[in-house]
Amino acid sequence: MTPALATPPHERRPRKSWLRSPLARQIKAPLVCIGCSLAVWQLLCLANPSGFPGPIQVITQTWDPYISQPFYDNGGTAKGLGLQILISLQRVAIGYSLAAILGIAAGLAIGLNDFLRRGFDPLIQVLRTVPPLAWLPISLLLLQQADSAAIFVIFITAVWPIVINTAVGIREIPQDYTNVARVLRLRKRSYLRDILLPATAPYVFTGLRISVGLAWLAIVAAEMLKADGGIGFFIWDAYNAGGDTSTSQIILAILYVGIVGLILDRLVGLVGDRVAGGGR
Amino acid sequence: MGKLMTVDDVSQSFPLKDGGHYIAIKDIDLEIHEGEFISLIGHSGCGKSTLLNLLAGLSQASSGGIVMDGRQVTDPGPERMVVFQNYSLLPWQTVRQNVAMAVNNVMHDLPAPARQERVDRTLAMVGLEAAKDKFPKELSGGMKQRVAIARALALQPRLLLLDEPFGALDALTRGNLQQQLMQICQNAGVTTVMVTHDVDEALLLSDRVVMMTNGPEAGIGQILQVPLPRPRQRLEVMEHPDYYGLRGELIGFLQQQRRLKQRRTSLATAPAPGAVNASRPFHRSATVVRLGVVPGLDVAPLAMAIDLKLFDDAVLQVVPVPFAHWQRLEEQLLNGSLHGAITAATAPLALTLGLSGQRPWSAVTPMTVSRNGNALCLGLPMLAQGVRTLGDLARWLNSQDQPLRIGVPQRRAIAEVLLRHWLASGGIDPERQVRFEALSPMAMHGALRTRQVDGFCAGRYRVAEIVQDGQGYVLATDLDIWSGHPEKSLTCSEAWAAAHPEILEALCSGLMRAAERCDDGGQREALTQVLSQPQWLGTRAAIALQRQFEFGAGTEPKALLRFNQFHADRACVPNPAEGAWLLSQFSRWGWCPFPSNRLEVLGQVYRPDLCAAALQRAGLASLRPTREAFALADGLVFDQDDPLGYLKSLPGSVQPPVAPVALPVAGAAAPHSPAHR
Repeated sequence: MTPALATPPHERRPRKSWLRSPLARQIKAPLVCIGCSLAVWQLLCLANPSGFPGPIQVITQTWDPYISQPFYDNGGTAKGLGLQILISLQRVAIGYSLAAILGIAAGLAIGLNDFLRRGFDPLIQVLRTVPPLAWLPISLLLLQQADSAAIFVIFITAVWPIVINTAVGIREIPQDYTNVARVLRLRKRSYLRDILLPATAPYVFTGLRISVGLAWLAIVAAEMLKADGGIGFFIWDAYNAGGDTSTSQIILAILYVGIVGLILDRLVGLVGDRVAGGGR
Repeated sequence: MGKLMTVDDVSQSFPLKDGGHYIAIKDIDLEIHEGEFISLIGHSGCGKSTLLNLLAGLSQASSGGIVMDGRQVTDPGPERMVVFQNYSLLPWQTVRQNVAMAVNNVMHDLPAPARQERVDRTLAMVGLEAAKDKFPKELSGGMKQRVAIARALALQPRLLLLDEPFGALDALTRGNLQQQLMQICQNAGVTTVMVTHDVDEALLLSDRVVMMTNGPEAGIGQILQVPLPRPRQRLEVMEHPDYYGLRGELIGFLQQQRRLKQRRTSLATAPAPGAVNASRPFHRSATVVRLGVVPGLDVAPLAMAIDLKLFDDAVLQVVPVPFAHWQRLEEQLLNGSLHGAITAATAPLALTLGLSGQRPWSAVTPMTVSRNGNALCLGLPMLAQGVRTLGDLARWLNSQDQPLRIGVPQRRAIAEVLLRHWLASGGIDPERQVRFEALSPMAMHGALRTRQVDGFCAGRYRVAEIVQDGQGYVLATDLDIWSGHPEKSLTCSEAWAAAHPEILEALCSGLMRAAERCDDGGQREALTQVLSQPQWLGTRAAIALQRQFEFGAGTEPKALLRFNQFHADRACVPNPAEGAWLLSQFSRWGWCPFPSNRLEVLGQVYRPDLCAAALQRAGLASLRPTREAFALADGLVFDQDDPLGYLKSLPGSVQPPVAPVALPVAGAAAPHSPAHR
């Protein structure tokens, strides 16, 4: 090794220290990269001002009323984006809750009973790969009503990961814990409460987290096709209107959809950590 | 100490993917006494944990049974509490909750405050009050183990089962915990079985250490009593004068097991001489097996098997090669002209140790061919001296300068070993007062008649002849010395056995099926007819087989039950415990030092595994050697786990030198490849 005497000791003046703060370090990279992307987008759109809007145009064109007044209500379907999202979230809440309740119940049954597991496994494997929209015609035929149909699509899309993960979680309960249960001759209720549920919870929440993403995907698609109100409806409506600012409205709505999806995902993750992470 | 649990003939096998079975442990017998601390020790894969799971009831034995308090163990329960290898604490519960969950479940009859009090008391006992609200992930390994132990002890189990409890801990923690566990177990008086691979741990904690042989088909190799005084302290224990002897015993056992394993592996992988047939199992041409015999009543199973065509003639054709002298037979066996032989029961060990001065030759015995059947016959002049009992003989010999001359079929063989033991038990010094002379069995009659010897020891056939001729009388039979002793063994080289497993199995199973008929009184006519053929005993076979045994000298003949034993009462099983007795006698008379690696020697020579396979092939009940201590007619109990103690208890308190015996290289002097028909 060569002696490092040649390099002089650091004598440079400490530069602006706020740049080194943890928060700054964390947002520096995304800030720079996203900023560059927006700049490139803006530059590309400058070449053809009448065509696709750049980021600045998107904001200026949708500022009023979409950004500034998210909760205006002009009756009918003319509502602010915030309200539209709430309508969508309401549908998701109903469909997803149904999926969670029935999915966990079905997963428990399938995980605990080998006959059921082997019997239903092929069916689940086939149905879980069906894209959300393929369910829509059937649900419309079945329920005759746009709103219930959308909820059904959410349910049927979101239920599979919950079923599968719950069942896997039960089957993956470590032998150690079942041995403890056997040696202590745990009674049914205690086994369920003290071993089965806590041991399975992380798997269940993994399933719930995957499902909430799928549910949000499904609602936007379903609302585009057949619904009154909702963020998906808003996008499709803006497209059909074909006005000067339509494209900007669509872009803004897409951004909102993404952000809401992200929040939902994190929310479920947070709940999962709280509920299933005890002591681990 | 009362008996708490009995493990009776337990085997455990697991199905393999290819449809076969992996037999993890086989034929385990163990008694666990109230308040005892037992360690199970052995190399990895020896089935220690399998056995522990069986004791816990977590899995069910494939055969055999485990009885606790008079009830068969069929499922796990809190009275047999297990402390698992990786603690098995529930990570979502605090220390207190973990223990409380167990207590609340098991002791639900107790009022809640009493349960709480119990939880707190147990946690205090293992010194975890301060950590009771922590989650397991916040604890060190040693603390987790203490929680697991607390959870077990809080339930006051009858039996505490520990699976390598300190395996994952650092040395310091381990030492502290061992001490704590010992105190806790002592104070609580709980019976404990612990799996470990740590020799010092086993010695510190245990009353008995059960040493297990290698898997597959692992069994109990030896049980070591640890008579160190209690309460024990680590340092005091290590300074105890017996400690290093006990430790040496344990380490010696583990090393022997490792060497045996290596030897089996090398034999199984090395291309053995003449392994042609073994590598072509579907090649159905029968192999000629030349089997050396010295004709006598002991060959009855072989004669019957050949006559009744009990050998699987698709696999082998047995050609008996008769000899007049045992020495000639052994020479031919060693130089490879014979594939196997029916030899004296001492021969497999004697050949392996090179007892008669020959080069050590690694022999194995897959079965014992016959038991008992010999008698000590004296010439009429001795009767004139009034010698009618062992005591008479001792008195007469003490008044004589001349030694008693006794003809034996072979020096240093089973007959001489038994006689020496018997004579010594009667106060006679066989070294000084008796001269043994090797005589061909055919020559015994003549030697006695011409006063060349004063008596001889031989099989029933020779004895019956001499008694009928009025030339001699019977002083003692095997039943007076060691009823049920192994007399003749099937012996072959280890290399040949390894190279021709199927042929050997077919050979043994044929002999076993014939042996069953030989013991069957209803087949006596047939047996007489077969043995009367000239190549066996000739026309006088009927004398040998008569129901009444003639003692001569004017006494009434009487029926001797099981005088020749071929099948009944595990007769065919080669029992290493009997080998251990033979080794003790070899060293007693100074023929060789007592092998410090006796289990290695016995494990190589005695092959009950081959015997069990052959029994199964013969369609007979699978038998195994018992581990029970046995006694000869003199009543001194021989415990195979303490042969040196036995020697000390013999008249004259024998203390032979103890030294390791180098086992001959496998495959040395292997016989030629068997010829094909």
